[in-house]
Amino acid sequence: MATLAGCRGLLSPSLNPARLLLSRQARAAVTGAMSLGQAAASPGEKSQSAGILGVRLAHTDISIPDFSDYRRPDVQDPKKSAQDSSETRKVFSYLVTGSTAVVGVYTAKTVVTQFVSSMSASADVLALSKIEIKLSDIPEGKNMTFKWRGKPLFVRHRTDKEIAAEASVDLSELRDPQHDKDRVTNPSWVIVIGVCTHLGCVPIANAGEYGGYYCPCHGSHYDASGRIRKGPAPLNLEVPYYEFADDNTVIVG
Amino acid sequence: MAASVCRVGGAVGRAFARARGPTLLSLRRSQATVTYAQSLLGAPETQLTTLDNGLRIASEETGHATCTVGVWIGVGSRYETEKNNGAGFFLEHLAFKGTKKHPQSALEQAVESMGAHLSAYTSREHTAYYMKALAKDLPKAVELLSEVVQSSALSEAEIEQQRGVILKELEEVEGSLQDVCLDLLHATAYQATPLAQSVLGPSQNARTLTRQDLVDYINSHYKAPRMVLAAAGGVNHEELVGLAKQHFSGVSFEYQDDAVPVLSPCRFTGSEVRMRDDAMPLAHIAIAVEGAGAANPDIVPLMVANSILGSYDITFGGGKHLSSTLARRAAELNLCHSYQAFHSTYSDTGLMGIYFVTGKHNIEDMMHWAQNAWMNLCTTVTDSDVARAKNALKASLVGQLNGTTLICDDIGRHVLNYGRRIPLAEWDARIDAVTPKMVRDICSKYIYDKCPAVAAVGPIEQLPDYNRMRSAMYWLRF
Repeated sequence: MATLAGCRGLLSPSLNPARLLLSRQARAAVTGAMSLGQAAASPGEKSQSAGILGVRLAHTDISIPDFSDYRRPDVQDPKKSAQDSSETRKVFSYLVTGSTAVVGVYTAKTVVTQFVSSMSASADVLALSKIEIKLSDIPEGKNMTFKWRGKPLFVRHRTDKEIAAEASVDLSELRDPQHDKDRVTNPSWVIVIGVCTHLGCVPIANAGEYGGYYCPCHGSHYDASGRIRKGPAPLNLEVPYYEFADDNTVIVG
Repeated sequence: MAASVCRVGGAVGRAFARARGPTLLSLRRSQATVTYAQSLLGAPETQLTTLDNGLRIASEETGHATCTVGVWIGVGSRYETEKNNGAGFFLEHLAFKGTKKHPQSALEQAVESMGAHLSAYTSREHTAYYMKALAKDLPKAVELLSEVVQSSALSEAEIEQQRGVILKELEEVEGSLQDVCLDLLHATAYQATPLAQSVLGPSQNARTLTRQDLVDYINSHYKAPRMVLAAAGGVNHEELVGLAKQHFSGVSFEYQDDAVPVLSPCRFTGSEVRMRDDAMPLAHIAIAVEGAGAANPDIVPLMVANSILGSYDITFGGGKHLSSTLARRAAELNLCHSYQAFHSTYSDTGLMGIYFVTGKHNIEDMMHWAQNAWMNLCTTVTDSDVARAKNALKASLVGQLNGTTLICDDIGRHVLNYGRRIPLAEWDARIDAVTPKMVRDICSKYIYDKCPAVAAVGPIEQLPDYNRMRSAMYWLRF
């Protein structure tokens, strides 16, 4: 009676058949009964014990699982050649890959840019970078100080007398020669940063011998245009960028 | 100066030639030599006749004292279902166990007393029963063959006994790793189609196929229009036709319930199957793409391409002096124990690939160079490659027809595949028509950027991931 097929356990890879039976070569003839003296397996021969670890039968018992759940619609039918749809499927795959790559590059660029630009000035700092000043609050002859970018900002409403006086100053007298009209957009208003150019103290408004500012630290005298006249400071008070939004408002920064 | 020497040399040579005696001249061309072209055209023609029931008879008279005659049937494992896979193989085992007229001992006696050999084989699309005998024993041979094919005894006792034999043979074939690997390649490449089935069938079927299954199989497939009676050797075609009319007229040509089995196309799936066993000494790996069917004219350039790739075995003498680039690399870099480029063709599809056997540390390199060779075929194959390959291919086609059995097999398979025997002269002409550009274009059509099927058995840890093997099927080039 037929015996169970000899099963090679995982631990016994070598076969030792009692007799060499028909050896099979791909596509070659298998000699039939004529040359068989030894073909019939003697019924009493027991097969090798399968072993506890598992039984592998013939390789023809291995069945490839059904992958139809993963197949594209074009190749679901096993009776249809896959070559016809080959081009279409490849084009689709490559298009999806290509677009994903392009989108991915732009995403990466955006993420990197965002991380790198996070090291630049934060929103509150940027918000502080400009200041809007209502000029109607400042009477003539008065100097108002605002905190801007961490520094004092002097906004001075000049009288006509002061304007005329500053305009007529001889440039050769000045340590840092600058004409008044180069330092103001609207002569009525002088806007300078209130930091002494000597060593950084804050000058006092409406003080000093020139009707402008006086720095108490080392005795620098500035005029009504913010130019240095006397004292150790080397340069005039810095004029920041400003714009007159309208007659009543100036935006500095 | 040199030119004048040549002129003098030429004149001297001519003087010598004229001076040679007539005896020497006649020895230069003896009567026995025939040019290759002459032998091609002078090959005996294969004659083909069809009987009324559709059975075809084809024979080539080669003048040998022996002959091979057989029946080639267009049936194989591709026609089987999951339930009866292995029936053809089972039948092959039972074929020589006796017919209705001749019980086993009588059949054996009849064959042995002629000094003949009776053989059979089953493949995925063809089954053959053939006998090698003396030319004068042709009538008896045809009679016995007709009995084997038409009225095999199929006794229950014999069926039961053959179950054990088949199971033992299934166990045996596990040792032939080339067959295991190529069977697995078919199983994965053509998964969920009939071509995935192995000829041997699963062990379960060997245990459960009944006599009725086998009878049904015969009744559904052994039909005259699908049969060819082929013969080669010292056979006379008219005599053979007469014998066929006598013995094979009864073969039916009608199907029950008109259930004509129609072969549907078999879908190829780029996929892989890995049977890893680190205890084995060598890894057997096959990688293939879908190739051309037997009747497809692209077959010839693909055969030339495979000839360019060639084959290699570590036992080749001559070291690294091999004409195929891949073989040379394999020898120089110790890439493998052996490799061969193959192309299995079926009626409407085929598997074109490379099978190699290598140690566990060379798998990745061998796979890389094998796929590199494929890419070279698609892009940079040269005139000299193609010229060499064409010659090698022609030589192998001619060399394969060595003996009546191989010629008869050729006839049988050709008539089943093409409806006629393709003569060597035609193969020669088709091969000559192949140009390097044709090889590049056709290889690109079948190989370039296609999903391969891979089957691997043995210590295959180093085999690259499928995605990487898929990526090696194209080059980044524009």
